[in-house]
Amino acid sequence: MDRDEIVSVLKALEEEGVQYVLIGAAAMGFHGLVRATEALDLLIHPTAENVEGLKRAFRRAWDNDPNVEAISAADLLGEYPAVRYYPPSGDLYFDVLTRLGEMASFATVESELKEVDGVPVRVATPLALYRLKKGTVRPLHQHDAEMLRHAFNVGEE
Amino acid sequence: MGVTRFRSPEEMNANLGLPVRKGGVERFLRHCARYWRLAPRIYPRGVFKFRSLEEAQRARQQISRENAQRTRRRCAEPE
Repeated sequence: MDRDEIVSVLKALEEEGVQYVLIGAAAMGFHGLVRATEALDLLIHPTAENVEGLKRAFRRAWDNDPNVEAISAADLLGEYPAVRYYPPSGDLYFDVLTRLGEMASFATVESELKEVDGVPVRVATPLALYRLKKGTVRPLHQHDAEMLRHAFNVGEE
Repeated sequence: MGVTRFRSPEEMNANLGLPVRKGGVERFLRHCARYWRLAPRIYPRGVFKFRSLEEAQRARQQISRENAQRTRRRCAEPE
């Protein structure tokens, strides 16, 4: 997935009215803290309608990729709060999340609007990212949390 | 932004003085593109579902390991 593909899927998400918040390393990138990643993490509003919008956006971005049909609201709203979608091409995949354990949900993660090529992108705030990352056990996320704390003066709580 | 000196790798790792600069998303996209060129990834295609973030993380690590081994083999091959 190159730059244009990423922008085109963000545009499709916007046009399909998908309610999501970008979290993870890509969100940090929007805030100016840059590190490479393999995944775009989307925390979505957990409704069947929203999942259908997400599927339409993915189909639009990847020429009706039949794999998209395997994404289901029953899973995402039920037993499988994490679904990974590898598009037919490219080097980046999507982690679609409806819950983050007990930590957070779409409703509780603070976000703000950013923009790329005129496409609005809803991105978790530095403080929200800090809160998400500081509670995890992955060393990389601990490091991210420290970078966010240092760069944005988001404090210890 | 000049040169910063460190007395040890630990001191260097602890330094978080990364600048927050404008155009972050464009730099992020360029950075990822460079990373993917250096270490091309091969992924399964399609949709995979997980009962927890930990389960998703384990699957991610497995794919990362396979890709790392592939990259090491590629780098070890004589040109």
